[in-house]
Amino acid sequence: MIEITLQLLSFIAAAILVIVGLTGMLFLDNLIKKIISFTLLSDGVNLALVSLGYVEGGIASILTPGSSVVDFPYNAILIFGPGIVLTNIVIGVSTTAILVALTIVLYKRYGTLKASKVLKGERK
Amino acid sequence: MNEPITNLWSIPLLIVIPILTAILVNLLYNKANAIKTIAISSSITLLAIALISPFGFQWFTGQPGVIPGGGYTFSADIFAWRLSLEYYYGSLQQILIVIMSLLLAFVVFISTRVLKKNFGTYIGLLFLLYTSAAIIIMVNDFYHLWIGVEFGSLLVAGVVAASGESISQKAALKYTFFSALSGAGMAISLALILGLTGYSNISDAIRFMSNNQLGGMSGVLYVAFGFLILSWIYAGGLAPTHPLKSDVYGAAYPHATILLQTQSKLMLVAMGLIILRLFSGLPFAKEVMLAISVITMMLGVVMALLQTDFRWTLAYLIISHSGLVTVGISLGTVAGIIGGLFQAVNDIIYMSILLLCCEAVLYFGSGTSIRSISGIAKSSPWLTGAVIVGALAASGIPPLNGFQSELILIQAALGQGLPEIAVIILMVSVTTFIALFKSIYSIFLRPADQTIIVGKPSADATTTGLSPVPKVLFLALAVLIGIAIILGVYPNLALNFLNETAMKVVYVPWVP
Repeated sequence: MIEITLQLLSFIAAAILVIVGLTGMLFLDNLIKKIISFTLLSDGVNLALVSLGYVEGGIASILTPGSSVVDFPYNAILIFGPGIVLTNIVIGVSTTAILVALTIVLYKRYGTLKASKVLKGERK
Repeated sequence: MNEPITNLWSIPLLIVIPILTAILVNLLYNKANAIKTIAISSSITLLAIALISPFGFQWFTGQPGVIPGGGYTFSADIFAWRLSLEYYYGSLQQILIVIMSLLLAFVVFISTRVLKKNFGTYIGLLFLLYTSAAIIIMVNDFYHLWIGVEFGSLLVAGVVAASGESISQKAALKYTFFSALSGAGMAISLALILGLTGYSNISDAIRFMSNNQLGGMSGVLYVAFGFLILSWIYAGGLAPTHPLKSDVYGAAYPHATILLQTQSKLMLVAMGLIILRLFSGLPFAKEVMLAISVITMMLGVVMALLQTDFRWTLAYLIISHSGLVTVGISLGTVAGIIGGLFQAVNDIIYMSILLLCCEAVLYFGSGTSIRSISGIAKSSPWLTGAVIVGALAASGIPPLNGFQSELILIQAALGQGLPEIAVIILMVSVTTFIALFKSIYSIFLRPADQTIIVGKPSADATTTGLSPVPKVLFLALAVLIGIAIILGVYPNLALNFLNETAMKVVYVPWVP
């Protein structure tokens, strides 16, 4: 019997976000909807990364005066997950900005947001 | 020169100078003379730093390594858990960064001549592209590896979109969408490795895996391997994501493609070696990498053969020859890795020669299609000579550099008992020759049609408003051809830089 923990629920939520985002990116034809799907995918990955470092009843990964050096490694959450999430948020915003900018330029040129029409006949 | 070994002065400079230059030229925006002066002096400074720098480490967290028996050290010569974000500048990094700096200087020179306005932002992007490649080739921690790859993917899209044509913008859009998928996969992969080992430093993680004999026993490691391979494929343009990368190469300005393909090769080498160091204990890891490489080589060269535009022929050949680089690395032997690394060096050089010739063809005003232009040899024999030398080098004809690296790759494949790989490498060489000479004959050697107007401004956006081919382009061609011949006659000049890296990857993979 699998024990339902907060970490497991977080992973399930992350998996749902990733699947919804991936499906949208691959199968939706509207460029704006594809970009929104990308943000869902990115959020799913962030949630998975944070959940990976979760320790039941754990403490922040900062060694404060008076805390036990022996217990610290066992109780502290993994810092890499939250650390990479901070950067992933920044990169996600940059990627979204580039995608939106390119979508605007292509919309001005073709007058449509349908990826199938915009990307058709790309070779000169 | 008496720096502590973990505090090498040149490493931060190789990262910070291009970033500062990018910010500065972007701010100057349209002040042409100021931008030219700053960009050119900055690229020459980077070349000088790369040339004179000693080898060493940079530990970014500033804390000492923890010696297993007790105590601390700042010396990388003593074994210690490093527990830090780390860069390493060694012989492999030196040769690749020197070549990239040289190419950056030429590309900056050329782009200041080619673009008439708004080139501050464009040159800024080129410098940032250089930074991302320098980060990836020097990095020895998961955090910077991931940032370098992500940052590099966005910059590729930026540089391609900057040409302003609809085909470039579409290529950039597609590339960015897929970079989101690949980046997410890589983040998960690195987080899994970290969750398994607890170390963000690659050397520490490999040591941990070796001490605890994780190897093929851990299912998590297989998932991490799969995601990292996915990122490697995407970053380097290997099959099956090769159409994305070939679109990028074909849609960018040819001079920008020089830096784009250099960045891709550096990513392939850096990530390939990291994957090999981390996962060589996994069953089938090398076989998976080898299969991807072989498929890439064959698909790329077949697609190149079908093209009728010189620019697109080169785009697919770059993809195909990326497979040659990764075949060597994937063999996982000292000879194979040396061959792969040497192929990367040579590939960057001869593809740059061919791309510069392609850029020069645009100045003749009729594009680069074999149906629209012919007879350049009569009006520009030097350019024709240069493109033939580049094509011979790419086809592995002696005494040029491509021959030496392909010979080492063939010997390495035979040494591993894989004659079929050796045959495929030979086939790729022959097909490269045919694909290139199909374009070269039509564009350069075939008698001229009336449509060619030599020396007039091109209708292509790349050369709008310019008539003569810039002299710096010929200078760049002369320098690169010189290097191609020297490396072809004296391969040890480069091999001496690559032996140490190959030995370390095979025998002491925890040493960067």
